[in-house]
Amino acid sequence: MIKKIILLACIPIALSNCVMVKGYEKVNINDPDMELSEKLCDRNITVFHSYREAAAGANGGKTGGGCGCN
Amino acid sequence: MGVADAINLKFTRYDTPFFYKTMTTTKYLFFICLFMVCGICHAQNSVQNNDAYKKRVLETAEIDLLSSYYSQDGNNAAVTGGRGTEELTDITGTLVISIPINDDDVLTVDTGISAYTSASSSNINPFDKGFADPFIAASGASRDDTWYNLTGIYSHSSDDRNSIWSAKLSYSTEYDYSSLGFGGSYTRLFNEKNTELGLSANVFLDKWKIIYPYELRPFAPGGRGLNDFLFLENTITGNPDYNPSFNVLTDENRNSYSLGIGLSQILSKNIQGGLLADFVLQQGLLSTPFQRVYFSDVADSFIDNFHLADDIERLPDSRFKIALGGRLNFFLNEYLVVRTYYRYYFDDWGINSNTLSIELPVKIADKFTLYPSYRFYNQKAADYFAPYNEHLSTSLFYTSDYDLSDYNANQFGFGINYTNIILRQNKLKLGLKSVDLKYSYYERTNGLSAGIVTAGFKFVVN
Repeated sequence: MIKKIILLACIPIALSNCVMVKGYEKVNINDPDMELSEKLCDRNITVFHSYREAAAGANGGKTGGGCGCN
Repeated sequence: MGVADAINLKFTRYDTPFFYKTMTTTKYLFFICLFMVCGICHAQNSVQNNDAYKKRVLETAEIDLLSSYYSQDGNNAAVTGGRGTEELTDITGTLVISIPINDDDVLTVDTGISAYTSASSSNINPFDKGFADPFIAASGASRDDTWYNLTGIYSHSSDDRNSIWSAKLSYSTEYDYSSLGFGGSYTRLFNEKNTELGLSANVFLDKWKIIYPYELRPFAPGGRGLNDFLFLENTITGNPDYNPSFNVLTDENRNSYSLGIGLSQILSKNIQGGLLADFVLQQGLLSTPFQRVYFSDVADSFIDNFHLADDIERLPDSRFKIALGGRLNFFLNEYLVVRTYYRYYFDDWGINSNTLSIELPVKIADKFTLYPSYRFYNQKAADYFAPYNEHLSTSLFYTSDYDLSDYNANQFGFGINYTNIILRQNKLKLGLKSVDLKYSYYERTNGLSAGIVTAGFKFVVN
């Protein structure tokens, strides 16, 4: 199931090599809410997740180290 | 007089004073035209120069002020072996200052303080005052602590802004833990900045100041065992011959090495996505020295209502973790954006987990955006986990930390953002650019619940 989800996620990205969005067409893409990284104001939420959950990483946040968590 | 007549007049009267006057006018027109052509050429050159002109990576210094208040409660504290109060509150303040050094380089200084009060940590020594009970907080020094952090990041962007590298150095400390971290990243943009590939590597060299549960300390080398003041002053009930087979830890270090890979792609004018992978190797002391464990095959001993520890948590000295994540964001229309995230995580301790989150930014006005969100998380327990008093003394590794147990978690969040594009200056030359407020409620199926309020203020230095 997990492999299928990852595979499905990869397909549109692989196909997207054919798509070229010009700089002047990126008005919507450049919207602050479209940023792929986590917002700075959510950082402390990610920190508490890293304390209370075994999983960490792959979200732009810490992957371990620097605190007694994980 | 028509145009043709004028031309005829011009060419028929070349020998008259008017001819000279006309020639003078023509000269003026010629020079004006020449000037205009030169001007246009100059303008063309200017346009070409504009292509070479580099927009600063960061126009002016920015200051982010973040704060949060976190509160949790539950009944499975790891300090008391999986049974006991988990009540904890934490207040965090963070200051992030980004300073443009020149057109290409930015220095970011990130400093934070986190002060917490923990009922479970207080029970490292539950005998300091009053009646010892895992569900009642003690009043000892371990009840609260403060964590300090300082991080510096220097980043450099290439002239064409298609490659960015950064270097990071960090240090953090609290009473029983300190950490030195360093790392770097490299990001490359392709396909007219439609594709972004990033690599990052980080190393954390952490050190514990080892603190054991209070009742185990007399059984460390040089300790007085049952002749310790604790046992002379208090009566042991249950098994009175309390004699834990306690061995002290020899390693105080915890080192983490991480490698991250990220690929993001603009899929259309309204969709972009990204894949992230993190590989982390941790070595050293990966258990928490003051977390108790109770064995089902050892007779139980108590002081008051407090079960005396059979041992501390023991975990392998190595852990390899892999996290694979993906984000997909959709700009549905000028009012609504959909932000989605999924992560699959697994490690060699037998834990695997799924994280799924969705956030729906709703722009309700020019300056205001609402952020309802939902996050689902589940995990399979570590191979070494068992609940309170269910471990066997013959096992090599054991923990009753419910953060490593089987559970599902749901988190509901709601936030609001205010963004002011036209900045007002004040005497400090600071302009408030945006304000974020958010509340999230988190609940696990094993009984732990938590709430966190976060606030973020972004200032621009004029």
